[in-house]
Amino acid sequence: MDGCCGPGYASPAEAIKAPKEKLLYTIAIYTGTGIQKPDYLATVDVDPQSPTYSKVIHRLEMPGIGDELHHMGWNACSSCHGDSKMSRKYLLVPGVRSNNIYVVDTASDPRAPKIHKVVDGSEIKKKTNLSGPHTVHCLGSEIIISFLGDARGEAPGGYLHLNKDFEIVGRWENSMGDIPFSYDFWYQPRHNVMVSSEWAAPNTFMPGFDLEEVGHLKYGRRLHVWDFKKKEPVQTMYLGEDGLIPLEVKFMHNPDSSHGFCGAALSANVIHFWKSKDGKWEWEKIIDVENEPHPDWPIPVPGVMSAILVSMNDKYLYINNWLHGDMRQYDISDPHKPKLTGQVWMGGLLGKAPEVNGVKIAGGPQMYQLSLDGKRMYVTTSLFSTWDNQFYPEIRKQGGAMIMIDCDVENGGMKINKDFIVDFGKEPNGPSRCHESRYPGGDCTSDIWL
Amino acid sequence: MTKITISNRNNSAFEVTGKKPLLNELRDQGVDLPYGCQYGGCITCAAKLINGEVDQRSQVALNNRQINDGYIILCVAKAKTDCIIEIGVESHDKLYRNPFLDPLEPHELKADIASKKKEKNKDEPQ
Repeated sequence: MDGCCGPGYASPAEAIKAPKEKLLYTIAIYTGTGIQKPDYLATVDVDPQSPTYSKVIHRLEMPGIGDELHHMGWNACSSCHGDSKMSRKYLLVPGVRSNNIYVVDTASDPRAPKIHKVVDGSEIKKKTNLSGPHTVHCLGSEIIISFLGDARGEAPGGYLHLNKDFEIVGRWENSMGDIPFSYDFWYQPRHNVMVSSEWAAPNTFMPGFDLEEVGHLKYGRRLHVWDFKKKEPVQTMYLGEDGLIPLEVKFMHNPDSSHGFCGAALSANVIHFWKSKDGKWEWEKIIDVENEPHPDWPIPVPGVMSAILVSMNDKYLYINNWLHGDMRQYDISDPHKPKLTGQVWMGGLLGKAPEVNGVKIAGGPQMYQLSLDGKRMYVTTSLFSTWDNQFYPEIRKQGGAMIMIDCDVENGGMKINKDFIVDFGKEPNGPSRCHESRYPGGDCTSDIWL
Repeated sequence: MTKITISNRNNSAFEVTGKKPLLNELRDQGVDLPYGCQYGGCITCAAKLINGEVDQRSQVALNNRQINDGYIILCVAKAKTDCIIEIGVESHDKLYRNPFLDPLEPHELKADIASKKKEKNKDEPQ
């Protein structure tokens, strides 16, 4: 941190030049596993020079059981770079089931973070009528968090607004318009735009996945374009069968770009959206992962593309197919015409890589975080406790795993790193499941430039 | 007072009032139980009712097949009679199913969208 500026980096190009990550944080859950222990934030040593490289070196337990930690986000990012009073110090870690939001101090001792404050789940329900927290983004010094339901777990939920001291301001949005469901969101301030996606109501997805509920329109199939300043939706992109269960939304990091992407999990498609010359938002399907035959299944297996990620230089798009078991890298220099440049396998139902670096993999590639320089990708294998239990019941005994992929940023290509694996099946309290990861210095899914 | 017997904890028995959800009544007496949302929406606390009757009208997590398989949501279910239950993940053998391999019949969906093939649907809204 230099004295002149706030958190993050002046530009994506500066972020790429940041020092290599030495630690990363990932959440690990016991909720839904049968082990009566709190979920925790694990610190993983990712410094190859360290004697504890590729190991969990600290576990911060949450105060109670049953949170289901899932995604998380920083209190500040590069959107505060000009504000020397701010620093990237706190990680906000919501519990999807408990509704609590844990504010974790990662700066006082980065190897051993500690809980700074708990925003109580019942207080959030009482003051804002929201439950089922998901995506955390900071907006300058303020923080907004998407919630998938109201206090009773019914859609569409909305957005919680916290101030920089993590006090509840209220609801962020002025209107949800006719949005039926919430999930992920990303904003691009220079275009005064936010795009949000749709999973389902907490009462629908939390107990597990009933495929029939897709046909009953209990799951999403739209993207929503917001007027960011007015805090209200202005356009709906109806994706239909091409966009069943549209989950993660990412804009390019270049703040001038209007191009963004969404992974439609059940359709296993990537949707590309952008602002046309007349100011209207357009979309197209640019990647379509075919369902794959399975020896024991009467129907082919869909990919289940549960996450996407854009490299800091906006050159590569990464996708996963949780049920197939592959991670892919696409060159998106022309975002209308992605080129497949890399693919690796880990776990999955197709039997292509049941073991990685000596560890039997339960689950498939699910969440991933990419280093700022784009060269190291850390991948975890669990999706959500109840969904894991349906598709990969063996994960109860085996736990999750974290795997590292070396990414070639010059010529494209991906390779599983042979020296790194964290087996969460061997955790002291029994097999846990790891999910989203964050680096102390910021990462490819946290920073937005004003 | 009614008696709750937990079959997979050496048939240990507990007296409950039936006025509070079983999760609270049993945890208050030292039974270690999983839970999540605490309003009947997330299935983490599901247990299997082997015998007896509970009132779990406010649960919204179970589909009709899970209900027919005896599952109850402890964070909202109140005992109406003496019950024998099985708790924890050992009771979850039929709770989770691969939705692509083992689809639900229209009457087996959640109460708000299930067809009316089966009459005994306690969770019909209103």
